Amino acid sequence: MLEKYLQIFKISLVQEFAYRLNFIMWRVRNVMQIFLVFFLWNSVFSDPTRMVFGYDRGKILTYVFGILILKAIVLSARAVDVAGEISRGDLSNFLLKPINYFKFWFTRDISSKALNLGFAIVEVLILFILLKPPLFIQTEIISLFGFLVSLVLAVFLFFLLLFLINLVAFWMPENSWAAQFLFIAILTEFLSGGVFPLDILPITVQRFLYLLPFPYLMFFPLQVYLGKIVGSQMFGGILISLFWVLVLAIGLNIVWNKGIKRFEAVGR
Amino acid sequence: MDRAIIVDHLVKNFEVTEKESGISGAISSIISPKKKIIRALRGISFTIQPGELVGFIGPNGAGKTTTLKILSGLLYPTAGFVQVLSFDPWDRKPEFLKQISLVMGQKNQLWWDLPAIETLELNRAIYEIPEKEFEQNLKELTSPLGVENLLKVQVRKLSLGQRMKLELIAALIHKPKVLFLDEPTIGLDLIAQQKMRDFIYEYNRRYQTSILLTSHNMDDLVDLVRRVIVIDEGRILFDGALEELVSRFAKEKIIKASLTKEDDIQRIETIGKVKKIAFPEVVLSIPREVVAVAAAELLQNFPIADLTIEEVPIEDIIRKVFRGEMARKKH
Repeated sequence: MLEKYLQIFKISLVQEFAYRLNFIMWRVRNVMQIFLVFFLWNSVFSDPTRMVFGYDRGKILTYVFGILILKAIVLSARAVDVAGEISRGDLSNFLLKPINYFKFWFTRDISSKALNLGFAIVEVLILFILLKPPLFIQTEIISLFGFLVSLVLAVFLFFLLLFLINLVAFWMPENSWAAQFLFIAILTEFLSGGVFPLDILPITVQRFLYLLPFPYLMFFPLQVYLGKIVGSQMFGGILISLFWVLVLAIGLNIVWNKGIKRFEAVGR
Repeated sequence: MDRAIIVDHLVKNFEVTEKESGISGAISSIISPKKKIIRALRGISFTIQPGELVGFIGPNGAGKTTTLKILSGLLYPTAGFVQVLSFDPWDRKPEFLKQISLVMGQKNQLWWDLPAIETLELNRAIYEIPEKEFEQNLKELTSPLGVENLLKVQVRKLSLGQRMKLELIAALIHKPKVLFLDEPTIGLDLIAQQKMRDFIYEYNRRYQTSILLTSHNMDDLVDLVRRVIVIDEGRILFDGALEELVSRFAKEKIIKASLTKEDDIQRIETIGKVKKIAFPEVVLSIPREVVAVAAAELLQNFPIADLTIEEVPIEDIIRKVFRGEMARKKH
Protein backbone atom coordinates (compact mmCIF):
# COMPACT_ATOMS: atom_id res chain seq x y z
CA MET A 1 0.00 0.00 0.00
CA LEU A 2 2.65 2.45 1.10
CA GLU A 3 4.82 1.41 -1.84
CA LYS A 4 2.32 2.95 -4.25
CA TYR A 5 2.77 6.33 -2.71
CA LEU A 6 6.53 6.01 -2.38
CA GLN A 7 6.66 5.35 -6.10
CA ILE A 8 4.46 8.37 -6.83
CA PHE A 9 6.76 10.42 -4.62
CA LYS A 10 9.76 9.16 -6.56
CA ILE A 11 8.36 9.74 -10.06
CA SER A 12 7.29 13.25 -9.05
CA LEU A 13 10.80 14.09 -7.93
CA VAL A 14 12.26 12.65 -11.11
CA GLN A 15 9.88 14.79 -13.11
CA GLU A 16 10.86 17.95 -11.26
CA PHE A 17 14.41 17.23 -12.36
CA ALA A 18 13.24 16.93 -15.94
CA TYR A 19 12.28 20.59 -15.60
CA ARG A 20 15.47 21.61 -13.81
CA LEU A 21 15.64 25.06 -15.34
CA ASN A 22 12.05 25.91 -14.44
CA PHE A 23 12.63 24.82 -10.91
CA ILE A 24 15.83 26.77 -10.51
CA MET A 25 14.22 29.92 -11.92
CA TRP A 26 11.41 29.50 -9.48
CA ARG A 27 13.86 29.28 -6.57
CA VAL A 28 15.80 32.29 -7.84
CA ARG A 29 12.59 34.26 -7.91
CA ASN A 30 11.93 33.35 -4.30
CA VAL A 31 15.39 34.37 -3.18
CA MET A 32 15.20 37.65 -5.07
CA GLN A 33 11.92 38.40 -3.38
CA ILE A 34 13.45 37.74 0.02
CA PHE A 35 16.36 40.04 -0.79
CA LEU A 36 13.97 42.80 -1.73
CA VAL A 37 11.77 42.47 1.32
CA PHE A 38 14.77 42.00 3.58
CA PHE A 39 16.41 45.24 2.55
CA LEU A 40 13.13 47.09 2.74
CA TRP A 41 12.49 46.08 6.33
CA ASN A 42 16.14 46.32 7.20
CA SER A 43 16.12 49.99 6.32
CA VAL A 44 12.83 50.62 8.13
CA PHE A 45 14.35 49.03 11.23
CA SER A 46 17.80 50.49 10.83
CA ASP A 47 17.58 51.58 14.45
CA PRO A 48 17.66 48.26 16.37
CA THR A 49 15.49 49.57 19.23
CA ARG A 50 12.69 50.67 16.94
CA MET A 51 9.35 48.88 17.16
CA VAL A 52 6.77 49.08 14.35
CA PHE A 53 3.42 47.24 14.47
CA GLY A 54 4.75 45.18 17.36
CA TYR A 55 7.79 43.99 15.42
CA ASP A 56 11.38 44.67 16.31
CA ARG A 57 14.21 44.15 13.86
CA GLY A 58 14.82 40.53 14.88
CA LYS A 59 11.18 39.56 14.60
CA ILE A 60 10.51 41.20 11.26
CA LEU A 61 13.61 39.65 9.75
CA THR A 62 12.64 36.28 11.21
CA TYR A 63 9.27 36.82 9.58
CA VAL A 64 10.92 37.36 6.21
CA PHE A 65 13.04 34.24 6.54
CA GLY A 66 10.13 32.29 7.97
CA ILE A 67 8.05 33.11 4.92
CA LEU A 68 10.74 31.65 2.68
CA ILE A 69 10.56 28.35 4.57
CA LEU A 70 6.78 28.36 4.93
CA LYS A 71 6.24 29.04 1.26
CA ALA A 72 8.25 25.94 0.51
CA ILE A 73 6.23 23.86 2.93
CA VAL A 74 2.74 25.26 2.40
CA LEU A 75 2.53 26.81 -1.06
CA SER A 76 4.65 24.30 -3.00
CA ALA A 77 2.22 22.11 -4.86
CA ARG A 78 1.77 20.15 -8.03
CA ALA A 79 -2.00 19.94 -7.89
CA VAL A 80 -2.17 22.97 -10.21
CA ASP A 81 -1.93 20.40 -13.00
CA VAL A 82 -5.26 18.83 -12.08
CA ALA A 83 -7.26 21.32 -14.17
CA GLY A 84 -5.24 20.52 -17.26
CA GLU A 85 -5.65 16.83 -16.68
CA ILE A 86 -9.40 17.24 -16.44
CA SER A 87 -9.73 19.42 -19.53
CA ARG A 88 -7.51 17.16 -21.62
CA GLY A 89 -9.48 14.16 -20.44
CA ASP A 90 -6.36 12.49 -19.05
CA LEU A 91 -8.27 12.03 -15.83
CA SER A 92 -9.65 8.86 -17.44
CA ASN A 93 -6.23 7.26 -17.11
CA PHE A 94 -6.50 7.56 -13.36
CA LEU A 95 -10.10 6.53 -13.07
CA LEU A 96 -9.07 3.27 -14.75
CA LYS A 97 -6.48 2.50 -12.11
CA PRO A 98 -6.77 1.19 -8.58
CA ILE A 99 -5.61 4.42 -7.03
CA ASN A 100 -7.08 7.26 -5.03
CA TYR A 101 -6.84 10.44 -7.05
CA PHE A 102 -6.64 12.76 -4.03
CA LYS A 103 -3.94 10.71 -2.36
CA PHE A 104 -2.09 10.62 -5.66
CA TRP A 105 -1.96 14.40 -5.85
CA PHE A 106 -1.34 14.88 -2.17
CA THR A 107 1.69 12.63 -2.51
CA ARG A 108 2.87 14.64 -5.51
CA ASP A 109 2.44 17.81 -3.45
CA ILE A 110 4.49 16.31 -0.63
CA SER A 111 7.30 15.53 -3.02
CA SER A 112 7.23 19.08 -4.34
CA LYS A 113 7.28 20.37 -0.78
CA ALA A 114 10.20 18.15 0.17
CA LEU A 115 12.24 19.32 -2.79
CA ASN A 116 11.41 22.99 -2.26
CA LEU A 117 12.04 22.75 1.46
CA GLY A 118 15.46 21.23 0.82
CA PHE A 119 16.35 24.16 -1.41
CA ALA A 120 14.79 26.72 0.92
CA ILE A 121 16.89 25.51 3.85
CA VAL A 122 20.07 25.83 1.86
CA GLU A 123 19.01 29.27 0.65
CA VAL A 124 18.22 30.43 4.17
CA LEU A 125 21.61 29.22 5.35
CA ILE A 126 23.37 31.11 2.57
CA LEU A 127 21.32 34.26 3.13
CA PHE A 128 21.95 33.96 6.84
CA ILE A 129 25.69 33.84 6.27
CA LEU A 130 25.54 36.75 3.80
CA LEU A 131 23.17 39.04 5.69
CA LYS A 132 23.78 37.95 9.29
CA PRO A 133 20.31 38.97 10.47
CA PRO A 134 19.38 38.75 14.12
CA LEU A 135 16.88 35.89 14.07
CA PHE A 136 14.33 35.16 16.72
CA ILE A 137 14.39 31.63 18.14
CA GLN A 138 11.21 30.46 19.81
CA THR A 139 11.82 28.36 22.91
CA GLU A 140 8.31 28.07 24.39
CA ILE A 141 7.20 24.44 23.92
CA ILE A 142 3.53 25.41 23.66
CA SER A 143 4.20 27.94 20.90
CA LEU A 144 6.35 25.48 19.00
CA PHE A 145 3.64 22.85 19.33
CA GLY A 146 0.97 25.32 18.20
CA PHE A 147 3.19 26.26 15.27
CA LEU A 148 3.54 22.63 14.19
CA VAL A 149 -0.18 21.92 14.46
CA SER A 150 -1.13 25.06 12.54
CA LEU A 151 1.49 24.23 9.92
CA VAL A 152 0.06 20.76 9.32
CA LEU A 153 -3.42 22.27 9.04
CA ALA A 154 -2.05 24.87 6.64
CA VAL A 155 -0.71 22.15 4.35
CA PHE A 156 -4.12 20.47 4.21
CA LEU A 157 -5.86 23.80 3.84
CA PHE A 158 -3.83 24.79 0.81
CA PHE A 159 -4.20 21.38 -0.79
CA LEU A 160 -7.97 21.56 -0.44
CA LEU A 161 -8.19 25.13 -1.72
CA LEU A 162 -6.00 24.44 -4.71
CA PHE A 163 -7.74 21.21 -5.63
CA LEU A 164 -11.15 22.83 -5.32
CA ILE A 165 -10.16 25.66 -7.67
CA ASN A 166 -8.78 23.19 -10.17
CA LEU A 167 -12.05 21.30 -10.29
CA VAL A 168 -13.63 24.28 -12.03
CA ALA A 169 -12.15 22.71 -15.15
CA PHE A 170 -14.97 20.15 -15.04
CA TRP A 171 -17.36 22.92 -16.01
CA MET A 172 -15.04 25.21 -17.92
CA PRO A 173 -12.54 23.07 -19.73
CA GLU A 174 -11.07 26.01 -21.63
CA ASN A 175 -7.35 26.20 -21.50
CA SER A 176 -7.15 29.77 -20.28
CA TRP A 177 -6.62 28.61 -16.74
CA ALA A 178 -2.91 29.23 -16.44
CA ALA A 179 -3.30 33.01 -16.34
CA GLN A 180 -6.11 32.88 -13.84
CA PHE A 181 -4.19 30.55 -11.59
CA LEU A 182 -1.35 32.99 -11.56
CA PHE A 183 -3.73 35.65 -10.33
CA ILE A 184 -5.12 33.32 -7.69
CA ALA A 185 -1.63 32.35 -6.60
CA ILE A 186 -0.63 36.00 -6.18
CA LEU A 187 -3.82 36.77 -4.30
CA THR A 188 -3.27 33.79 -2.04
CA GLU A 189 0.29 34.84 -1.36
CA PHE A 190 -0.90 38.34 -0.53
CA LEU A 191 -3.75 37.32 1.75
CA SER A 192 -1.71 34.73 3.55
CA GLY A 193 0.98 37.22 4.53
CA GLY A 194 3.54 36.15 1.96
CA VAL A 195 4.41 39.68 0.93
CA PHE A 196 4.03 41.63 4.18
CA PRO A 197 2.78 40.78 7.67
CA LEU A 198 -0.99 41.15 7.77
CA ASP A 199 -0.98 42.97 11.12
CA ILE A 200 0.12 46.18 9.46
CA LEU A 201 -3.36 46.32 7.91
CA PRO A 202 -6.27 48.21 9.60
CA ILE A 203 -7.76 46.18 12.42
CA THR A 204 -11.19 45.76 10.75
CA VAL A 205 -9.57 44.34 7.64
CA GLN A 206 -7.55 42.01 9.82
CA ARG A 207 -10.66 40.83 11.68
CA PHE A 208 -12.35 40.06 8.39
CA LEU A 209 -9.30 38.31 7.00
CA TYR A 210 -9.11 36.08 10.05
CA LEU A 211 -12.47 34.61 9.17
CA LEU A 212 -11.14 33.48 5.80
CA PRO A 213 -8.86 30.49 5.35
CA PHE A 214 -5.99 32.48 3.81
CA PRO A 215 -4.19 33.88 6.88
CA TYR A 216 -3.97 30.37 8.29
CA LEU A 217 -1.76 29.30 5.41
CA MET A 218 1.34 31.21 6.50
CA PHE A 219 0.66 34.30 8.55
CA PHE A 220 -1.01 32.58 11.47
CA PRO A 221 1.57 29.79 11.90
CA LEU A 222 4.36 32.35 11.77
CA GLN A 223 2.69 34.59 14.33
CA VAL A 224 2.40 31.59 16.61
CA TYR A 225 6.07 30.85 16.12
CA LEU A 226 7.02 34.45 16.84
CA GLY A 227 4.98 34.33 20.02
CA LYS A 228 2.73 37.16 18.86
CA ILE A 229 -0.31 34.93 19.04
CA VAL A 230 -0.55 32.86 22.19
CA GLY A 231 -3.04 31.22 24.54
CA SER A 232 -6.74 31.24 23.73
CA GLN A 233 -6.10 33.32 20.62
CA MET A 234 -3.82 30.58 19.36
CA PHE A 235 -6.31 27.81 20.09
CA GLY A 236 -9.10 29.86 18.54
CA GLY A 237 -7.08 30.28 15.39
CA ILE A 238 -6.30 26.58 15.23
CA LEU A 239 -10.00 25.84 15.62
CA ILE A 240 -10.97 28.18 12.78
CA SER A 241 -8.29 26.62 10.66
CA LEU A 242 -9.59 23.15 11.50
CA PHE A 243 -13.10 24.31 10.71
CA TRP A 244 -11.99 25.44 7.25
CA VAL A 245 -10.21 22.16 6.63
CA LEU A 246 -13.42 20.28 7.39
CA VAL A 247 -15.64 22.59 5.36
CA LEU A 248 -13.33 22.51 2.38
CA ALA A 249 -12.91 18.72 2.58
CA ILE A 250 -16.67 18.26 2.53
CA GLY A 251 -16.98 20.83 -0.23
CA LEU A 252 -14.28 19.14 -2.26
CA ASN A 253 -16.03 15.82 -1.95
CA ILE A 254 -19.33 17.25 -3.15
CA VAL A 255 -17.81 19.19 -6.03
CA TRP A 256 -15.68 16.20 -7.04
CA ASN A 257 -18.67 13.86 -7.23
CA LYS A 258 -20.63 16.38 -9.26
CA GLY A 259 -17.63 17.00 -11.46
CA ILE A 260 -17.12 13.31 -12.16
CA LYS A 261 -20.75 13.02 -13.21
CA ARG A 262 -20.26 15.98 -15.46
CA PHE A 263 -17.03 14.52 -16.80
CA GLU A 264 -18.78 11.34 -17.78
CA ALA A 265 -21.83 13.16 -19.14
CA VAL A 266 -19.81 14.98 -21.76
CA GLY A 267 -17.96 11.76 -22.40
CA ARG A 268 -14.58 13.34 -22.65
CA MET B 1 -17.81 -17.59 -14.42
CA ASP B 2 -18.21 -18.58 -18.05
CA ARG B 3 -18.54 -15.20 -19.65
CA ALA B 4 -16.02 -12.41 -19.53
CA ILE B 5 -18.45 -9.69 -20.56
CA ILE B 6 -22.22 -9.57 -20.42
CA VAL B 7 -24.11 -6.63 -21.87
CA ASP B 8 -27.86 -6.69 -21.82
CA HIS B 9 -30.15 -3.99 -23.23
CA LEU B 10 -27.60 -1.33 -22.51
CA VAL B 11 -28.80 2.22 -22.99
CA LYS B 12 -26.75 5.38 -22.70
CA ASN B 13 -28.06 8.88 -23.19
CA PHE B 14 -25.96 12.00 -23.03
CA GLU B 15 -27.55 15.28 -22.12
CA VAL B 16 -25.94 18.20 -23.83
CA THR B 17 -26.73 21.88 -23.65
CA GLU B 18 -26.87 23.40 -27.06
CA LYS B 19 -24.94 26.59 -27.45
CA GLU B 20 -26.14 29.03 -30.00
CA SER B 21 -23.71 31.24 -31.80
CA GLY B 22 -23.18 34.89 -31.00
CA ILE B 23 -23.48 36.87 -27.81
CA SER B 24 -27.26 36.76 -27.64
CA GLY B 25 -27.08 33.03 -28.16
CA ALA B 26 -24.59 32.69 -25.35
CA ILE B 27 -26.82 34.70 -23.03
CA SER B 28 -29.97 32.82 -23.89
CA SER B 29 -28.20 29.53 -23.38
CA ILE B 30 -27.37 30.64 -19.84
CA ILE B 31 -30.90 31.87 -19.06
CA SER B 32 -32.82 29.03 -20.63
CA PRO B 33 -30.42 26.30 -21.61
CA LYS B 34 -31.72 24.11 -24.37
CA LYS B 35 -31.09 20.55 -23.32
CA LYS B 36 -30.76 17.97 -25.99
CA ILE B 37 -30.60 14.26 -25.41
CA ILE B 38 -28.21 12.30 -27.50
CA ARG B 39 -29.04 8.64 -27.58
CA ALA B 40 -25.63 7.06 -27.90
CA LEU B 41 -26.71 3.49 -27.18
CA ARG B 42 -30.25 2.31 -27.73
CA GLY B 43 -30.33 -1.04 -25.99
CA ILE B 44 -27.48 -3.23 -27.13
CA SER B 45 -26.85 -6.79 -25.98
CA PHE B 46 -23.94 -9.16 -26.46
CA THR B 47 -21.65 -11.45 -24.52
CA ILE B 48 -17.98 -12.20 -24.84
CA GLN B 49 -16.28 -15.42 -23.77
CA PRO B 50 -12.98 -15.54 -21.95
CA GLY B 51 -10.16 -15.47 -24.46
CA GLU B 52 -12.27 -14.18 -27.32
CA LEU B 53 -11.01 -11.46 -29.65
CA VAL B 54 -13.91 -9.44 -30.99
CA GLY B 55 -13.92 -6.52 -33.39
CA PHE B 56 -16.33 -3.73 -32.75
CA ILE B 57 -17.04 -1.77 -35.92
CA GLY B 58 -19.26 0.99 -37.14
CA PRO B 59 -19.08 4.54 -38.47
CA ASN B 60 -17.96 7.48 -36.34
CA GLY B 61 -20.39 8.28 -33.58
CA ALA B 62 -21.98 4.85 -33.69
CA GLY B 63 -21.41 4.27 -29.98
CA LYS B 64 -18.27 2.12 -29.99
CA THR B 65 -16.16 4.22 -27.67
CA THR B 66 -19.14 4.86 -25.42
CA THR B 67 -19.55 1.10 -25.03
CA LEU B 68 -15.89 0.61 -24.20
CA LYS B 69 -16.04 3.40 -21.65
CA ILE B 70 -19.07 1.89 -19.96
CA LEU B 71 -17.42 -1.52 -19.89
CA SER B 72 -14.32 -0.10 -18.25
CA GLY B 73 -16.25 1.89 -15.67
CA LEU B 74 -15.67 5.38 -17.02
CA LEU B 75 -19.30 5.98 -17.89
CA TYR B 76 -22.42 5.20 -15.98
CA PRO B 77 -25.06 3.44 -18.06
CA THR B 78 -28.49 5.07 -18.35
CA ALA B 79 -30.24 1.70 -18.32
CA GLY B 80 -29.54 -1.95 -18.85
CA PHE B 81 -27.24 -4.53 -17.38
CA VAL B 82 -23.46 -4.68 -17.67
CA GLN B 83 -21.11 -7.16 -16.10
CA VAL B 84 -17.40 -7.54 -16.70
CA LEU B 85 -15.60 -10.41 -14.95
CA SER B 86 -18.61 -10.61 -12.61
CA PHE B 87 -18.11 -6.99 -11.54
CA ASP B 88 -20.28 -3.97 -12.09
CA PRO B 89 -17.72 -1.75 -13.86
CA TRP B 90 -19.11 1.51 -12.48
CA ASP B 91 -18.20 0.49 -8.90
CA ARG B 92 -14.58 0.69 -10.04
CA LYS B 93 -13.51 -1.74 -7.33
CA PRO B 94 -9.72 -2.13 -7.14
CA GLU B 95 -10.06 -5.89 -7.75
CA PHE B 96 -11.91 -5.11 -10.96
CA LEU B 97 -9.57 -2.37 -12.14
CA LYS B 98 -6.59 -4.67 -11.59
CA GLN B 99 -7.99 -7.09 -14.15
CA ILE B 100 -8.88 -4.76 -16.99
CA SER B 101 -7.19 -2.27 -19.23
CA LEU B 102 -8.38 0.31 -21.74
CA VAL B 103 -6.07 1.65 -24.40
CA MET B 104 -7.23 4.63 -26.37
CA GLY B 105 -5.14 5.38 -29.42
CA GLN B 106 -5.44 9.08 -28.81
CA LYS B 107 -4.79 9.14 -25.10
CA ASN B 108 -1.50 8.58 -23.39
CA GLN B 109 -0.66 7.45 -19.93
CA LEU B 110 3.12 7.55 -20.28
CA TRP B 111 4.73 10.51 -18.55
CA TRP B 112 5.83 12.73 -21.37
CA ASP B 113 9.08 14.05 -19.92
CA LEU B 114 10.30 10.81 -18.41
CA PRO B 115 11.53 7.51 -19.80
CA ALA B 116 8.78 4.93 -20.14
CA ILE B 117 10.33 2.74 -17.47
CA GLU B 118 9.33 5.34 -14.86
CA THR B 119 5.66 5.03 -15.76
CA LEU B 120 6.00 1.26 -15.81
CA GLU B 121 7.53 1.29 -12.34
CA LEU B 122 4.70 3.48 -11.16
CA ASN B 123 2.17 1.07 -12.61
CA ARG B 124 3.96 -1.80 -10.92
CA ALA B 125 3.37 -0.08 -7.60
CA ILE B 126 -0.19 0.98 -8.39
CA TYR B 127 -1.21 -2.49 -9.50
CA GLU B 128 0.82 -4.05 -6.70
CA ILE B 129 2.71 -6.39 -9.00
CA PRO B 130 5.48 -8.36 -7.25
CA GLU B 131 8.96 -7.38 -8.43
CA LYS B 132 9.76 -10.76 -10.00
CA GLU B 133 6.49 -10.96 -11.86
CA PHE B 134 7.01 -7.43 -13.10
CA GLU B 135 10.42 -8.24 -14.54
CA GLN B 136 8.98 -11.34 -16.18
CA ASN B 137 5.99 -9.50 -17.67
CA LEU B 138 8.19 -6.71 -18.89
CA LYS B 139 10.45 -9.14 -20.71
CA GLU B 140 7.53 -10.96 -22.26
CA LEU B 141 6.07 -7.69 -23.52
CA THR B 142 9.15 -5.82 -24.67
CA SER B 143 10.90 -8.54 -26.64
CA PRO B 144 8.13 -9.35 -29.16
CA LEU B 145 7.65 -5.62 -29.75
CA GLY B 146 11.40 -5.06 -29.95
CA VAL B 147 11.47 -2.09 -27.60
CA GLU B 148 13.83 -3.33 -24.86
CA ASN B 149 16.29 -0.55 -25.56
CA LEU B 150 13.66 2.20 -25.64
CA LEU B 151 12.62 1.85 -22.01
CA LYS B 152 15.12 4.41 -20.81
CA VAL B 153 14.51 6.98 -23.53
CA GLN B 154 12.45 10.05 -22.71
CA VAL B 155 8.95 9.42 -24.05
CA ARG B 156 8.80 12.70 -25.95
CA LYS B 157 11.85 11.66 -27.96
CA LEU B 158 10.13 8.52 -29.26
CA SER B 159 8.36 8.19 -32.58
CA LEU B 160 4.61 7.70 -32.55
CA GLY B 161 4.98 4.02 -33.37
CA GLN B 162 7.49 3.45 -30.60
CA ARG B 163 5.35 5.34 -28.18
CA MET B 164 2.24 3.35 -28.99
CA LYS B 165 4.11 0.12 -28.37
CA LEU B 166 5.20 1.36 -24.98
CA GLU B 167 1.69 2.63 -24.25
CA LEU B 168 0.47 -0.86 -24.93
CA ILE B 169 3.07 -2.33 -22.61
CA ALA B 170 2.07 0.10 -19.87
CA ALA B 171 -1.52 -1.04 -20.31
CA LEU B 172 -0.63 -4.72 -20.20
CA ILE B 173 2.01 -4.82 -17.49
CA HIS B 174 -0.54 -6.03 -14.93
CA LYS B 175 -1.72 -8.81 -17.25
CA PRO B 176 -5.36 -7.81 -17.49
CA LYS B 177 -7.93 -10.51 -18.15
CA VAL B 178 -10.00 -8.16 -20.25
CA LEU B 179 -8.52 -5.66 -22.65
CA PHE B 180 -10.34 -2.87 -24.46
CA LEU B 181 -8.53 -1.41 -27.43
CA ASP B 182 -9.86 1.75 -29.02
CA GLU B 183 -8.22 2.38 -32.39
CA PRO B 184 -4.89 0.79 -31.46
CA THR B 185 -3.25 1.40 -34.84
CA ILE B 186 -4.44 4.95 -35.45
CA GLY B 187 -1.76 7.14 -36.98
CA LEU B 188 0.80 4.35 -37.35
CA ASP B 189 2.63 3.56 -40.56
CA LEU B 190 1.96 0.27 -42.31
CA ILE B 191 4.87 -1.65 -40.83
CA ALA B 192 4.13 -0.44 -37.33
CA GLN B 193 0.47 -1.36 -37.82
CA GLN B 194 1.40 -4.86 -38.88
CA LYS B 195 3.69 -5.30 -35.88
CA MET B 196 1.00 -4.06 -33.57
CA ARG B 197 -1.49 -6.51 -35.06
CA ASP B 198 0.88 -9.45 -34.81
CA PHE B 199 1.51 -8.58 -31.23
CA ILE B 200 -2.17 -8.31 -30.32
CA TYR B 201 -2.90 -11.60 -32.06
CA GLU B 202 -0.07 -13.41 -30.28
CA TYR B 203 -0.93 -11.85 -26.96
CA ASN B 204 -4.53 -12.94 -27.20
CA ARG B 205 -3.54 -16.49 -28.11
CA ARG B 206 -0.88 -16.78 -25.47
CA TYR B 207 -2.66 -15.36 -22.43
CA GLN B 208 -6.26 -16.04 -23.37
CA THR B 209 -7.09 -12.42 -22.69
CA SER B 210 -10.54 -11.33 -23.80
CA ILE B 211 -10.05 -8.46 -26.21
CA LEU B 212 -12.66 -6.09 -27.54
CA LEU B 213 -11.22 -3.88 -30.22
CA THR B 214 -12.58 -0.99 -32.22
CA SER B 215 -10.85 0.07 -35.36
CA HIS B 216 -11.26 2.00 -38.54
CA ASN B 217 -8.51 0.01 -40.07
CA MET B 218 -9.82 -2.79 -42.24
CA ASP B 219 -6.61 -4.76 -42.01
CA ASP B 220 -6.90 -4.79 -38.24
CA LEU B 221 -10.20 -6.57 -38.54
CA VAL B 222 -9.48 -8.92 -41.39
CA ASP B 223 -6.19 -10.01 -39.82
CA LEU B 224 -7.19 -10.21 -36.22
CA VAL B 225 -10.76 -11.01 -35.47
CA ARG B 226 -13.03 -13.88 -36.25
CA ARG B 227 -16.09 -12.32 -34.75
CA VAL B 228 -17.34 -8.81 -35.36
CA ILE B 229 -20.08 -6.74 -33.84
CA VAL B 230 -21.41 -4.07 -36.18
CA ILE B 231 -22.95 -1.09 -34.47
CA ASP B 232 -24.58 1.99 -35.89
CA GLU B 233 -26.68 4.72 -34.34
CA GLY B 234 -26.51 2.93 -31.01
CA ARG B 235 -27.88 -0.36 -32.27
CA ILE B 236 -26.25 -3.65 -33.07
CA LEU B 237 -26.79 -4.55 -36.71
CA PHE B 238 -24.75 -7.69 -36.84
CA ASP B 239 -22.97 -10.00 -34.43
CA GLY B 240 -21.19 -13.00 -35.84
CA ALA B 241 -18.34 -14.39 -37.88
CA LEU B 242 -16.57 -12.01 -40.21
CA GLU B 243 -17.29 -14.21 -43.26
CA GLU B 244 -20.96 -14.26 -42.39
CA LEU B 245 -20.96 -10.50 -42.53
CA VAL B 246 -20.50 -10.79 -46.26
CA SER B 247 -23.36 -13.15 -46.97
CA ARG B 248 -25.52 -11.07 -44.70
CA PHE B 249 -24.78 -7.64 -46.04
CA ALA B 250 -23.57 -8.21 -49.57
CA LYS B 251 -26.68 -7.99 -51.64
CA GLU B 252 -24.59 -8.51 -54.70
CA LYS B 253 -22.10 -10.91 -56.19
CA ILE B 254 -19.24 -10.19 -58.49
CA ILE B 255 -18.93 -11.70 -61.97
CA LYS B 256 -15.52 -11.52 -63.56
CA ALA B 257 -15.32 -12.35 -67.23
CA SER B 258 -12.63 -12.31 -69.91
CA LEU B 259 -13.77 -11.34 -73.39
CA THR B 260 -12.18 -12.81 -76.47
CA LYS B 261 -12.76 -9.64 -78.44
CA GLU B 262 -13.79 -6.10 -77.58
CA ASP B 263 -17.49 -5.52 -77.32
CA ASP B 264 -19.88 -2.67 -76.83
CA ILE B 265 -20.00 -1.49 -73.22
CA GLN B 266 -23.58 -0.42 -73.50
CA ARG B 267 -24.56 -3.93 -74.48
CA ILE B 268 -22.81 -5.36 -71.44
CA GLU B 269 -24.49 -2.81 -69.20
CA THR B 270 -27.87 -4.33 -69.96
CA ILE B 271 -26.77 -7.38 -67.99
CA GLY B 272 -25.75 -5.57 -64.80
CA LYS B 273 -23.74 -2.81 -63.21
CA VAL B 274 -20.27 -2.64 -64.76
CA LYS B 275 -17.71 -2.03 -62.03
CA LYS B 276 -14.63 -2.20 -64.19
CA ILE B 277 -13.88 -2.72 -67.84
CA ALA B 278 -10.36 -3.08 -69.15
CA PHE B 279 -10.16 -5.33 -72.13
CA PRO B 280 -10.16 -8.27 -71.95
CA GLU B 281 -11.47 -8.15 -68.37
CA VAL B 282 -14.96 -7.08 -67.32
CA VAL B 283 -16.15 -6.92 -63.72
CA LEU B 284 -19.88 -6.82 -63.06
CA SER B 285 -21.86 -6.41 -59.87
CA ILE B 286 -25.04 -8.46 -59.97
CA PRO B 287 -27.83 -8.89 -57.40
CA ARG B 288 -27.47 -12.19 -55.59
CA GLU B 289 -30.81 -13.66 -56.73
CA VAL B 290 -30.19 -13.24 -60.45
CA VAL B 291 -26.50 -13.97 -60.60
CA ALA B 292 -26.97 -17.38 -62.27
CA VAL B 293 -29.27 -15.91 -64.92
CA ALA B 294 -26.85 -13.10 -65.61
CA ALA B 295 -23.97 -15.51 -66.00
CA ALA B 296 -25.91 -17.64 -68.43
CA GLU B 297 -26.89 -14.60 -70.43
CA LEU B 298 -23.31 -13.44 -70.62
CA LEU B 299 -22.06 -16.80 -71.81
CA GLN B 300 -24.76 -16.99 -74.45
CA ASN B 301 -24.59 -13.53 -75.94
CA PHE B 302 -20.98 -12.45 -75.56
CA PRO B 303 -17.63 -13.78 -76.72
CA ILE B 304 -16.46 -15.05 -73.35
CA ALA B 305 -13.26 -17.00 -72.70
CA ASP B 306 -13.55 -17.35 -68.93
CA LEU B 307 -16.04 -16.47 -66.23
CA THR B 308 -16.01 -16.59 -62.39
CA ILE B 309 -18.59 -15.70 -59.79
CA GLU B 310 -17.20 -14.26 -56.54
CA GLU B 311 -18.32 -12.83 -53.24
CA VAL B 312 -17.88 -9.12 -52.63
CA PRO B 313 -14.55 -8.72 -50.79
CA ILE B 314 -14.82 -8.37 -47.00
CA GLU B 315 -13.00 -5.05 -47.25
CA ASP B 316 -15.77 -3.59 -49.39
CA ILE B 317 -18.38 -4.66 -46.88
CA ILE B 318 -16.47 -3.23 -43.97
CA ARG B 319 -15.95 -0.04 -45.90
CA LYS B 320 -19.68 0.19 -46.29
CA VAL B 321 -20.11 -0.42 -42.58
CA PHE B 322 -17.76 2.45 -41.77
CA ARG B 323 -19.66 4.73 -44.10
CA GLY B 324 -22.82 3.84 -42.24
CA GLU B 325 -24.49 2.38 -45.30
CA MET B 326 -25.63 -0.73 -43.50
CA ALA B 327 -28.11 1.05 -41.27
CA ARG B 328 -29.76 2.89 -44.09
CA LYS B 329 -30.31 -0.32 -45.92
CA LYS B 330 -32.13 -1.78 -42.97
CA HIS B 331 -34.50 1.14 -42.49
